[in-house]
Amino acid sequence: MKTYFVAFRLVTAFSLAVFLSSTGTSATEPMPDPFAGMADEYRTLTRPLLQQFCLECHSTAKQEGDLDLERFAALADVRRGTKAWLKVVEMLDNGEMPPAESKQPSPEQRKQLRGWVERYLHAESLANAGDPGSVVLRRLNNAEYTYTIRDLTGVDLDPAREFPTDSAAGEGFTNAGNALSMSPALLAKYLDAGKEIARHAVLLPDGIRFSQFTAQRDWTNEMLLKIRQFYRQRVEIVDLGVGTSVGLMNLHGDCRLGEAGKLPLEKYFAATLAERAALRSGEKTISVVAAERGLNAKYLGLLWTNMDATEPSPLLDGLRSRWRDAKPEDAAALVTEVAAWQRGLWAFNVVGLMGRKGSGTQWQEPVSPFVVQQEFRLPIPAAKEGEAAKEVVISLVVGDCGDGNEQDFVVWHQPRLVADKQPDIFLRDIPELKGIDPATFGKHPSGKSLDAASLCVRAPSVITLRLPGTIAAGRTLVTTAALDSEAGGDASVQPDVVLGEAEVKSGLMVATTTATLSTVTALYPDHRTVSYQKPVLVAEEGAASKTFAAAMEAHRQLFPISLCYPQVVPTDEVLTLTQFHREDEHLVRLLLDEAEKREIDRLWDELRFVSQDPLKLAAVLDSLVETTKDHPQDGGFNEAVKPFHQRADVFRQRLIDCEPKQLDALIDFASRAFRRPLDEQAVEDYRSLYRKLRSEELSHEDAFRLVLARIFVAAPFLYRFESVPDGASSAQVSHSELASRLSYFLWSSLPDEELRAKAAEGTLGHPDVLEQQTRRMLKDPRVRRLGTEFACQWMHIYDFPATEAKSVQLFPEFEELRTDMYEESILFLTGLFQNDAPLLGLLNADHTFVNERLAKFYGIAGIEGESWRRIEGIQQHGRGGILGLAATLAKQSGASRTSPILRGNWVSEVLLGEKLPRPPKDVPQLADTVSDGLTERQMIERHSSDAACAKCHQRVDPLGFALEGFDAIGRRRKQSQTGLAIDTRTKLADGREIDGLAGLRSYLLEQRRNAVVGQFCRKLLGYALGRETQLSDQPLLAEMQQKLAENGYRTSTAVLAIVQSRQFREIRGRDTPPSAGR
Amino acid sequence: MRNHTFQRRTFLRGLGVTMALPWMETLPVWGDDASTSTKRPNEPPVRLAVLFSGNGFHAGQWWAKGVGKEMTLGPVLESLTDFRERLLFINGLYNAEALKGNIHSSQTGNLLSGAPLASGGEIRSGTSFDQLVAQHYGHSTKVPSLVLGCERSNPGIHKNYSMLYSSHISWSSPTAPTPLELYPALAFDRLFKGEGERGDRGVLDAVLGEASRFRGKISTSDRQKLDEYLNSVREVEQRLEQASKQGELQGWRPTLDKPNVPRPPDGIPQNLADHMRLMCDILVLAFQTDATRVCTLKLNNDHSYLQFPHLNVAVGHHELSHSDRGKMSPDWLKVNQFFLEQFAYIARKLDAIQEGERTALDNSVLMYLSSMQTGSHDASNLPCVVVGGGGGRLQGGRVLDYASQPNRKMCSLYLSLLDKFGIRLKEFGDSNEHLAEV
Repeated sequence: MKTYFVAFRLVTAFSLAVFLSSTGTSATEPMPDPFAGMADEYRTLTRPLLQQFCLECHSTAKQEGDLDLERFAALADVRRGTKAWLKVVEMLDNGEMPPAESKQPSPEQRKQLRGWVERYLHAESLANAGDPGSVVLRRLNNAEYTYTIRDLTGVDLDPAREFPTDSAAGEGFTNAGNALSMSPALLAKYLDAGKEIARHAVLLPDGIRFSQFTAQRDWTNEMLLKIRQFYRQRVEIVDLGVGTSVGLMNLHGDCRLGEAGKLPLEKYFAATLAERAALRSGEKTISVVAAERGLNAKYLGLLWTNMDATEPSPLLDGLRSRWRDAKPEDAAALVTEVAAWQRGLWAFNVVGLMGRKGSGTQWQEPVSPFVVQQEFRLPIPAAKEGEAAKEVVISLVVGDCGDGNEQDFVVWHQPRLVADKQPDIFLRDIPELKGIDPATFGKHPSGKSLDAASLCVRAPSVITLRLPGTIAAGRTLVTTAALDSEAGGDASVQPDVVLGEAEVKSGLMVATTTATLSTVTALYPDHRTVSYQKPVLVAEEGAASKTFAAAMEAHRQLFPISLCYPQVVPTDEVLTLTQFHREDEHLVRLLLDEAEKREIDRLWDELRFVSQDPLKLAAVLDSLVETTKDHPQDGGFNEAVKPFHQRADVFRQRLIDCEPKQLDALIDFASRAFRRPLDEQAVEDYRSLYRKLRSEELSHEDAFRLVLARIFVAAPFLYRFESVPDGASSAQVSHSELASRLSYFLWSSLPDEELRAKAAEGTLGHPDVLEQQTRRMLKDPRVRRLGTEFACQWMHIYDFPATEAKSVQLFPEFEELRTDMYEESILFLTGLFQNDAPLLGLLNADHTFVNERLAKFYGIAGIEGESWRRIEGIQQHGRGGILGLAATLAKQSGASRTSPILRGNWVSEVLLGEKLPRPPKDVPQLADTVSDGLTERQMIERHSSDAACAKCHQRVDPLGFALEGFDAIGRRRKQSQTGLAIDTRTKLADGREIDGLAGLRSYLLEQRRNAVVGQFCRKLLGYALGRETQLSDQPLLAEMQQKLAENGYRTSTAVLAIVQSRQFREIRGRDTPPSAGR
Repeated sequence: MRNHTFQRRTFLRGLGVTMALPWMETLPVWGDDASTSTKRPNEPPVRLAVLFSGNGFHAGQWWAKGVGKEMTLGPVLESLTDFRERLLFINGLYNAEALKGNIHSSQTGNLLSGAPLASGGEIRSGTSFDQLVAQHYGHSTKVPSLVLGCERSNPGIHKNYSMLYSSHISWSSPTAPTPLELYPALAFDRLFKGEGERGDRGVLDAVLGEASRFRGKISTSDRQKLDEYLNSVREVEQRLEQASKQGELQGWRPTLDKPNVPRPPDGIPQNLADHMRLMCDILVLAFQTDATRVCTLKLNNDHSYLQFPHLNVAVGHHELSHSDRGKMSPDWLKVNQFFLEQFAYIARKLDAIQEGERTALDNSVLMYLSSMQTGSHDASNLPCVVVGGGGGRLQGGRVLDYASQPNRKMCSLYLSLLDKFGIRLKEFGDSNEHLAEV
């Protein structure tokens, strides 16, 4: 058994007739005839009353006010003209009819007439309950068109900005079909807008995307930005500073190495150190630690495994042993050690030079600082003028590389002092030489002899030589270190020559590498020289050489100096054949999972595709070859020509190969745009337009864009077509049509992927799925559009910033504030739906939304900045709910002063859904004598005391007087503009006395709750259906109101009742006359 | 001369569909080619401009007395003094349907048609008389009519009538208000932009075919809505065709074949006076170049919220209209005069264009209307002034007062004016009589 608690509006003015219908209905029992007994009653009681009081004017002959009541001879006639009876109720309730000068019915007669009409209308509403009604074919209004385009393209375009403003129909919303007409002028605008939108399409290898921009350069930049962002999200950007010195045609000297993308290694080390025990014991896994610390699990795992490993590695052993002893705070020291070796194991190339003769192919190049011999040239400072030359101390150092020293014999070949144009002086020949036994020269530690001026030592060794300043100062010490010829393949040493004393320990010292390009006019990249400090001396092809090569490689693999080339575009050379340089194999290898790898590959492919890089480079190359003819650089680019041209040819072919895929994507896009699957004919239609345009010699891209533009002008895009069932009965719309109804109701836009999927699998129509989808959609940010399009239109503040202006002299601050006022309203109203808040919060919410400007305007301290935030306790500031929104208060004011009439009328018509009688034809003007010493209220009270006006003003004005505590821009006030005291106490039409906003609020909440809630239901239903509500909607409206009351007035209750209703889910049959149900 | 209606029907048959042509049906005596009967090929055409502003005028300051040179004009009309001899001041006319509904919207949406207005959530008026003229002239000029506005329309419903009515006096059909162009630059483009771009025609052809395939699948009432679309597409196509044939027209040539001023800047000018001035200039330019012969310029909405800081007036239009205290309201007078000055500006500019023996003003009918007499919603006596020679068919310098006449319908005036454009109808709106004096 289901009981309708019917809140019956009957378009009456003030008597919201609420009565309880005890008519029990259920699916199994046949419903009793709601019209039972009505025909007789009409004939015997009602009709005679009409004859007596109405038919004199409302006869078939006279039809005053276009109303003919004479034609209703019997109930059957009445039922064919229901609309006239709604008018009868309105006139009776407004006290407009019968006119005052005519004969009046007795109270009993009036009650009989009014009661019968009411019962009749109620019966009529039940008879057709659930009728979907006549919904005029809807064009997307400007807002829907814009949102739909934005959701389709993912770009915030504003293609409707210069379209004519939409008008409202139905329940007062711009989504009603009959207000949405089409004209040649508008169609031409759609065509232009469509072409403009199509210009934002970016053609990709496998389809299209849309961009905020319309130029290829910008699209390229967008891709670049995406790639850089991809890198930046994963590495830290560190400037490498000025590095290699280069020059081409003297265009520049020093060049920046650019930026490196590094891992925050310290955090990784710290994690392994801090969680060492937990990881070892298995208490935590790597992924848990990584997640806790926001680190990349893949790399953390690698680092852990490597540090925890035991197999020997000459480069990593030292690090590992220190790691084993380290505490979390020692992480930085470990990083320093790693970084030191990175400088020895990596060198950088000039990216801008790539593609040229002899250039490298990688930006960061692995180098291995090991050599078979190393020459040292150590300049010794000259003595300062006027000072005696001091003794010079030089150390010849040899380390043992930490891998044992059995074979580590090294020869210092002929250490000597050299100077320009002077004979070399062998150290052996300097008598004053100290620090070494001269007999050591020419002798191997094993006793055998060697070159007489040379030394041979076994690492580790330091020979600290002291030379007399008089001989040594200003000269250069020159020697070459090499392994002794008898040292075996296992030998490995690290020689170094330094000024001063030195020590050496067993172990590997950090080597460093320097790469230099000399600055000369005619230069190719192969002029680069690489030098090392503390390189490792090993025998060629020896075992040690292999061990060290492997160890260095292992270090490079685990600790690359940069994970990627994050700037993508080289800036280290002016004339370059490299537009974009991809070097991220370390990033890919060390950090990325499979999906990320595909993503970065896709980004790069799109970058090259969108920028048409191969074509651009071939063109640049051709012009370079041309400009360097007969120039010292002639030939510098020749080697590159052929591969570049080949790549360009391949790319051209690829562009052609991609055309069919792009066209397929266009067809998919059309289907999405049209909110329906395309049939074969439609698909062929789109393809044939493309072919036709190509045959008119348009390029692929031009033709493609025009076909795309066509989608946005096409009727199935601009109109919300729905298939009509044959016959006169209503039927459910299809799943995909239901998806569109839902999405245009809640989002003013097309269905998203999930909704489309539910429609495609045919489950959307299931009540549970429908509810679940509706709830999901209400939580989605797009529900802001319901807050804007529905709620702001209902509240008459739609497009407030564009439609509301105030006197600049009186309210200079308004222009800046009006956007904020509107934003506050949108956020507040959206929140009702998004948070499933109680509807009554519309009136009694204690929160609102502010930014700094609005907070200041409201007199709320402590809010800083542009950002919007929700604040609680707004009632303390005399506001709360829509009655206290600056936007509603300002909207219902004049340009220079408040208007209690407008505000009162707004409360009455917009919030309570009352209909006031028509104002008298000739409103008396305010008397000339009205002086300026009156408040707005006092002026109106004079005006409204005129008898002809008082009837309405007594009802409306007091509601507005209660809001007089706010000025014309919604600011709280105690005084009028002219300094007079403001009075917010007022006596309502029913004699009740209230004061101010708070008084009005509790009056509406307590005395008029049903009216407010009923008005909300009616407006929301009208908005959802795109039509005016009709009599047969009354049972649904009553159900909504009842469910709201039962569910704490949560807004979702009303929304769900609508989307599950027959009205929402069905469409009238082809043969139903459009006027039915009106 | 070709018959436009026939062309359209031929085309529609070509699509294999039959469709309702709402605005054709409103013309019971359509058929004889009026353009041959009203003008010789070498004579300049007659143009129609309708200017509108809402909320009525200053009580007691809108009046005219006397005849010809001796005519005196009330303060609101002062700026028209130079045109007294070509001016008709018409008093006492009304629209019966406008008295039936509520206020504002329901008094405005049928101002030029006299049609009943649908209330509640529905929208229906009637084809307006200016658009009738446009449909009559449509095929001979680049655009059939130019409908301009200086205030954006309001969404919403007021007193049970869509506010669409308070901002649209031009209606292409009973269900299609003619959209207003608010942007001067776009109005300019509409008149003078070229024939479109390569491929446009192909696209339009394609969407036309596509939409007509939907016709069979939708309800009968929806078809009417879709037909608005189909007709619009076709008309844009025809316009492109027309543009490519520019210069082939025989007979009378306008004094200007392309605009002699640059395209206005994008956007809507901040200052209302600048906005209105630009729109007036475009109207004159459209007539001078014969890009259109019909222009309706809505200076503001009925129920207007326009502000007038440039006149040092701090109150909005609607509010001003309600604070009319006779001589005590200089601001209201100032604003009224400002609107009429726009009208006078157009007349003056047209009068400076010599077209053979007559000026363009002599070849025009300029009409200024409001939807109520004063701000107090009284629509039983509508303010109406007509300036111009109507191609020699309009006798100015007179005050016509119908206030006490039995035949005082606005639609009677429209019937008489339609005659000047060779459109001879027996009835229009709520009238089947002409105004003999006009």
